[in-house]
Amino acid sequence: MAKQPPLAGIRVCDFTWVWAGPYCTLQLAHLGAEVIRIETKTRPCVTRQLPPWPDGQFVGLNRSGYFNQYNQGKKSLALNFKHPEAKEIARKLISKSDILINNFAAGIIEKMGFGYEEAKKLRRDIIMITLSGYGDTGPWQDYVAYGPAQVPLSGLSSLTGYKDFPPMHAGFSYADPNAGVHGAFALLTALYHRAKTGEGQYIDMSQWECAMDLLAEGILEYTMNGREPVRNGNRDPQMAPHGNFKCIDWPEKIMDMTIDRWVSIVCADDAEWGRLANAMGQPELANDPRFQTLAARKQNEDQLEAIVQKWTSARTVEDVIAILQPANVAVGAVADNRYLSTDANLTARNFWVYKDHPEVGKRQHAGIPWRMSGTPTEVRAAAPTLGQHTDEVLTSILGYSADDVASLRDLGALD
Amino acid sequence: MPGALSDVKILELGELVAAPYASKLMADMGAEVIKVERPGVGDRSRTRGPFPKDDPHPEKSGLYLYLNTNKLGVTLDIATAEGLEILDKLIAGTDVLIHNIIPPEMDRVGLTYERLKRINPKLIMTSITPWGLDGPYRNWRAEDLTIWSAGGVCVLNGGGPEYADLPPLKTFGSQSGFQGGIHSAVATMGALFARLRDGDGQHLDCAMQEAIAAQLEMTFEYWPYMKMIATRLGQKPLQPVETFMAKDGYIYLCCIEEHQWQNFVHVMGDPEWAQMEIFNNRLARGLNWDALRPMLEEYVSQQTVLGLYKAVQARRVPFAPVSTMGTLLDNEHLKARGFFVEIAQPVAGTHKYPGAPLKYEKTPWGIRMPAPTLGQHNQDIYAGRLGMTAARLAELQRKGVI
Repeated sequence: MAKQPPLAGIRVCDFTWVWAGPYCTLQLAHLGAEVIRIETKTRPCVTRQLPPWPDGQFVGLNRSGYFNQYNQGKKSLALNFKHPEAKEIARKLISKSDILINNFAAGIIEKMGFGYEEAKKLRRDIIMITLSGYGDTGPWQDYVAYGPAQVPLSGLSSLTGYKDFPPMHAGFSYADPNAGVHGAFALLTALYHRAKTGEGQYIDMSQWECAMDLLAEGILEYTMNGREPVRNGNRDPQMAPHGNFKCIDWPEKIMDMTIDRWVSIVCADDAEWGRLANAMGQPELANDPRFQTLAARKQNEDQLEAIVQKWTSARTVEDVIAILQPANVAVGAVADNRYLSTDANLTARNFWVYKDHPEVGKRQHAGIPWRMSGTPTEVRAAAPTLGQHTDEVLTSILGYSADDVASLRDLGALD
Repeated sequence: MPGALSDVKILELGELVAAPYASKLMADMGAEVIKVERPGVGDRSRTRGPFPKDDPHPEKSGLYLYLNTNKLGVTLDIATAEGLEILDKLIAGTDVLIHNIIPPEMDRVGLTYERLKRINPKLIMTSITPWGLDGPYRNWRAEDLTIWSAGGVCVLNGGGPEYADLPPLKTFGSQSGFQGGIHSAVATMGALFARLRDGDGQHLDCAMQEAIAAQLEMTFEYWPYMKMIATRLGQKPLQPVETFMAKDGYIYLCCIEEHQWQNFVHVMGDPEWAQMEIFNNRLARGLNWDALRPMLEEYVSQQTVLGLYKAVQARRVPFAPVSTMGTLLDNEHLKARGFFVEIAQPVAGTHKYPGAPLKYEKTPWGIRMPAPTLGQHNQDIYAGRLGMTAARLAELQRKGVI
């Protein structure tokens, strides 16, 4: 018999916003926790105000695809903290929560009156985490961190780039989701510890430090050999070919721009190179002295890539994959969002989630990247509209009566 | 104080990054991890480096040494009948099996949850695979780059007018492996927590493609919401959000809110050009980037990275240094927080490694021992735990099973 999801009965008081924090609490919601986002109308989550919108323009706080992706399965409680009653509601919620989480700039959560010392008084065994850019200690602790800037700060940018060109980005605010998912791991570890001992705790997270796990190879190059790694595009020191190769463009233009399409192809050893040469209809290349060994392929990599490129450039992404995967060559589409939306694997595995949302209807959203055989997990609902669960949280969790709620609303304490 | 996971026993059948990273995260929090490697060859990460003095050696690979701290190491050929029998004994005594053996290989050796749960009904089996255990790509060949691309991230990087003819750019390192690993560690911890409640094990199917497709910022939703393809090509809508060369390195300029730009202009000494109408809001600065860029290049080229960074941060503008490995190791903030840790390993020597990704108040992160040499704990595990005789061990060694 299918059981409850792992975190059934675990309540999360969620003060996070933008991306890192919401990505953290999304993992907890995926695992079945009741995540209650505290929101305000005066400072609504940044992502509620960012595109994409179904109308192509900003016409309301509940219509952003960005917000609606990372807040699936959560509840929204809208408060106005100018009123002391709102603070009292938040305190009551903390006293009934297992986890308290925020990603405000340093000192803000304390100023609001919900720092760890206060929270512990409200709930003896609370587990609290602050997902900050720089961490809670150290000379740069008060510095401001924005998603895009954390990638270069981490060190990933100086390692990423085309040969002989300046450092490049990761293409997205990579340190944010990375911090979020590491934060979720830490919270689960702390929950496990609490289940064994009854003891809560505080967790200090620096998004910067979390991101440095991802570049251990670069750091060790420096600590072992005193040398900065050289940026080398998509190439790999031990595999060739190893890169992205151009195929036929999408047939239609988008906003007057041609959108190019690519595939990734990797040959991990000589045998795989032989399979690729055969599949390209050029079996003689397998034993060509220019390409026969890894050392030779690395030496003649420009020529090697030109040959593969010439072959792919006359084909569609779909054709290249249909030829190379049966030949057991590592190939994948350089998938854009359009390609992903109909990707055969993600579709067949029911990765995509379509939950009804009162303002945007059923939209395609990314779901949960794991399946659990014993305690199935699922996205339970679309992202909440702002304040959608205010009444429910106040009455069913915090014990307010319908009359109490009405007078709190009249007072302006509820947003 | 013992780590939070000190009562958890993990068996790892891991290669390269994904499974080893997942079990490292748990090992560093106190779990006991037995890492099983192929006799004679070992984990493929042993060939990846970096190597001290560029001298390739299976015990000196930086990637291997980093990913396998706090683990016990044994060798075992699970593709032999005797090897599989020994594996079953190890599985009987473990809480969690974490592996990233690909599905065709799982089929070949008979590594199925159906079979393993009969040996150990409380077993949590975490299968980390490129494409998942079912679905049409199940048996597809994959490497880190092809998964990163097929998950939808690679297409976003590179581009912009200067790089329009160059291919989509991979991010440094083995990022599919790291993301597959951390997302699987989250699922595994969920299953461990559920087991405290229910007492039962289960099987987790963790797909690396999905772990990447789950974190595409807002880009994926441009298709279902607006029927727009998100591309690396074209101009950025807002500026400045870009890397510039200073006197002593690169710095990343980041003005997203209007007050951040105003504060930066003030730090620059309120130059006259900054008052021009073509630069008077973030969208205008994006449209007129060709005119703005040289002005900023000129200014930044006369600053030091840390000088400019600290000056703007004092006004709450979120610039960042483009850290190099050298500046990270020498960084005053990371030093004050004690981030890097020194680890001594008998063959590779002593080096600094990235340390705790998070700091816990009650349950410490810590390095108890360095990564194991190939088969280092064969004796401890096979003789000490499974009770094999010396003669049996010698026989298995002769046959190449261990």
